[in-house]
Amino acid sequence: MNAPALADEVVVDVQNVHTRFGKQMVHEDLSLQVRRGELVALIGGSGSGKSVLLREILGLQRPTAGTLRVLGTDMWQSPESERAAVRRRFGMMFQEGALFSSLDVAGNVATPLLEHTDTPPALLPRLVNLRLALAGLGAEVGAKMPAQLSGGMKKRAALARALALEPEVLFLDEPTSGLDPITARAFDALIEFLNRDLGLTVLMITHDLDTLLSIARRIVVLGRGRVLADGTAEQVMSVDEPWIKSYFSSRQTVHSDPARAGQAPADGA
Amino acid sequence: MGEAQRQCWVDEQDGRVVLHLGGAWSLAGLRDLSAQLSGPDGPLGGGRPRLPQRLDGQALQHLDTAAALLLLGALADAGTDLAQLELQHFDARHGRVLEVVRKRYAETTAAPPKRPLAALGRFGKATSEMGQLLLGHVEFFGRTLTEIGRVLLNPRRLRLHELFAQLGQVGVNAVPVVVLVTFLIGVVMAYMLGLQAERFGANIFVVDGVALGMTREFSPLIVATIMAGRSGAAFTAQLGTMKLTEEIDAIRTLGLEPAQVLVVPRVLALVITLPLLVFVGNVAGLAGAAMMANATLDITPQVFVNRLHLALAPRHYVIGLAKAPVFALFIAVIGCRMGVAVSRDTRSIGINTTSTVVQGIVAVILLDAMFAVFFQELGL
Repeated sequence: MNAPALADEVVVDVQNVHTRFGKQMVHEDLSLQVRRGELVALIGGSGSGKSVLLREILGLQRPTAGTLRVLGTDMWQSPESERAAVRRRFGMMFQEGALFSSLDVAGNVATPLLEHTDTPPALLPRLVNLRLALAGLGAEVGAKMPAQLSGGMKKRAALARALALEPEVLFLDEPTSGLDPITARAFDALIEFLNRDLGLTVLMITHDLDTLLSIARRIVVLGRGRVLADGTAEQVMSVDEPWIKSYFSSRQTVHSDPARAGQAPADGA
Repeated sequence: MGEAQRQCWVDEQDGRVVLHLGGAWSLAGLRDLSAQLSGPDGPLGGGRPRLPQRLDGQALQHLDTAAALLLLGALADAGTDLAQLELQHFDARHGRVLEVVRKRYAETTAAPPKRPLAALGRFGKATSEMGQLLLGHVEFFGRTLTEIGRVLLNPRRLRLHELFAQLGQVGVNAVPVVVLVTFLIGVVMAYMLGLQAERFGANIFVVDGVALGMTREFSPLIVATIMAGRSGAAFTAQLGTMKLTEEIDAIRTLGLEPAQVLVVPRVLALVITLPLLVFVGNVAGLAGAAMMANATLDITPQVFVNRLHLALAPRHYVIGLAKAPVFALFIAVIGCRMGVAVSRDTRSIGINTTSTVVQGIVAVILLDAMFAVFFQELGL
């Protein structure tokens, strides 16, 4: 049907955002657009304001100036009812999962469904299991408490909860941090599947070079309060900017040193 | 998009039953879709067992995973073999969504294992947990006393900095609330006793009653209750958070003893300050009573103080103060132990903090009852 018309729709629109904490300027006239169906990775050094930007987009933290729109709704100016409605159309996965510790995993996933939808009671457990399955968890995990989960499972459970309401946009804060490389790659595949097969627009903060180079189709680099670079991995890497250069070469230096190839990393001798 | 719009209907093509889908199949309309699909007039409900072998998505405008699950669930429940189901005229996106759900359908039917304990089982579990808790308290109490003993043998082991920080938090900062509460209790006691005493013209004996009741029973009990809520809860929350953020593990890996660094200063701080706060409470309570006596019973402050000298034997006062360190020891040990016993999730901090307050107050009242019997037997 109207898929082509939707393809160019801007779902996350950041316009001229300024953020100041006391004397410290975090964002200086920052603008950024994410279109429907994109998979965008946000990178930047510590203190470059990635997390602050994400919190502003989510409506959790007020910018000093500028507008932030998600799915056409201004997250700071629109009436509360409109903002509440748009919150049901995006999902957020927090870095540490932020699962409700008093509920088991199934209860966590069911919470948004119970609060915001009229799901028939008979279908609810199935729907919860489907969300868990989409996030790569078995149904048996549903009965566990968040405290009993490993880091990777916590993130998957948090993703299952973020997917509960069929979001159109998914925000992820460092989805692979603290995961072992195998689990992290599986998580990358999961994010790509959600983006490709279910058509979710994804905006994520990440520091994982493997994630960036494998699944991110667009990389946005934040620094000095603005967007330093924006484009595919190749385009971003070719930008002449010291921080970007050292960021992408941080791993090449380890890999390209043939003298270390067969050696244990413990050196000093 | 009227309500009347049909979102599913069945017909036959080349001898096969085809289920047509139309309109928006989404999470928001699940109940309505379910009614259309499996209701009495629906293709899968009522008395028409026509199981579709094919799905047609030509008229479909939107399909999300929740609606796809509803559809496949209804089909499977009606007896359709999902693997044999053919799809035709589906938009690529809708087809992908349907395939994603079909692939995972088997996983969604598993019921999460839930086995609530029967009443007797819960009772047994609670009893056993209570036993474990008390056993843990006894062990912790012993360890704390050992550690305090070590500090007494070698005073340089005492963390003075931490002790003074705790003295400030536990003692000095508690003075306003202690003064306020005991002052008001003094006012109330004088008023209530005064109402009775006035009828017999025995106004002056109000001083006897307030002095004895306040210093021997009420002030220690009330101040200890305040501290159980205030400091006991604080100890649990502080140590529980430190446990959660692995600070306690860090202390141990640095070769220090958490009991000595964290527990001893807190216990000592409360044992030192509680008698002092009880003294403050005595003064405030008597001041409140004196004020009330002056206002309603024609007992001037001068007369009040003179009567106090006659009526209040020092032993009552000393007994009241002597109970305080014992209360403090129990409150502090319970508070610290419940903090250390926090398990690795945030919820248990809340549970343990609540439990600390309850246990602290129960302990104080139990101890007070034991003291009452004990002093009675001793004839004090």
